[in-house]
Amino acid sequence: MSIDTQNDPYNHLVRALFANPDHAGVLEGGIVVSNADQGIRIELSARVTEHRVERLRYRAWGCPHCIAACEALAAKLEGGPTGDLENFSSARFMQSLAVPAEKSARILVIEDTVRQLGKALRDPTASERQN
Amino acid sequence: MGKLPLDLQALGVDLMSMTAHKMYGPKGVGALYLADRPEVHIEPLLYGGGQQRRLRPGTLPVPLIAGFGAAAEIAAQKMPDDAVRLAQLRDRLWQGIHDIPGIRVNGDLNNSWPGLLNVSVADVEGESLLLALEPLCVATGSACNSTNKEPSYVLRALGLSDLDAQSAVRFSLGRQTTRPQVDFAIGRYRRAVAMLREIAPERVA
Repeated sequence: MSIDTQNDPYNHLVRALFANPDHAGVLEGGIVVSNADQGIRIELSARVTEHRVERLRYRAWGCPHCIAACEALAAKLEGGPTGDLENFSSARFMQSLAVPAEKSARILVIEDTVRQLGKALRDPTASERQN
Repeated sequence: MGKLPLDLQALGVDLMSMTAHKMYGPKGVGALYLADRPEVHIEPLLYGGGQQRRLRPGTLPVPLIAGFGAAAEIAAQKMPDDAVRLAQLRDRLWQGIHDIPGIRVNGDLNNSWPGLLNVSVADVEGESLLLALEPLCVATGSACNSTNKEPSYVLRALGLSDLDAQSAVRFSLGRQTTRPQVDFAIGRYRRAVAMLREIAPERVA
């Protein structure tokens, strides 16, 4: 199929991530946080070993940019230090995924959820209190 | 027009605009019907030459008009067969997806043009559904408003919630549509809905 790249609302990275949601799912027994705002629903779950994110999974209901952003962040943060989550910024994803300005609030919801997960990993009892 | 028999006098129509490309004619040409009993008077939007009873000045696009006429002639010949064939394809499409949980037809299958099937499905995000359906060329809302991502005001007027209206997909079947293409669309739609539901978190009450 040929794609009209000039009028395509999704760049090649969004298309590739959307088509391959390898990190979609939920980790049973992991730390789970969720958010529903700005017309999207997102849930992140993670398992940690020695201050590293051993596995990170997401479930998302939203537009292709949101699903692509979740897939991208899961791939990037998995295997890294848990501290990265609390300092997570979506700015790079907004750029690489060419997220339209009208969708930026949705991506910020995802950013908030990642930071929330970071806090929960540091203090699991706080997550239990929230959820 | 060009799809269902129309008797404008019996319907009491005063004015009707029509376009050739809706019946496989060329784009860029249309026609306007004005009832003469009682006579309907309209004012031109443009002034200049006296063409078309002084209503639309400008040189007439003869090739487009001839194409429109030919398309109308073919449509009149094929109309009965087209309607039967498209109804079979539309019914096949609906039968292939009707058992998906939360799916609904927007409109009345018994009182609508058989070349269209508009469906909504619960708890699936419309924009992602459209992308997951590629390479199917379907639209949310009406085809003439396909760049607008707002839920269709027509569907909202039919009583759909914003959430159901945003997941509405309009399948258009035409003279060239085949059974294998319909079967492909069924498979693609089922997979897209299943995939998006699988990766979605449960709805918070």
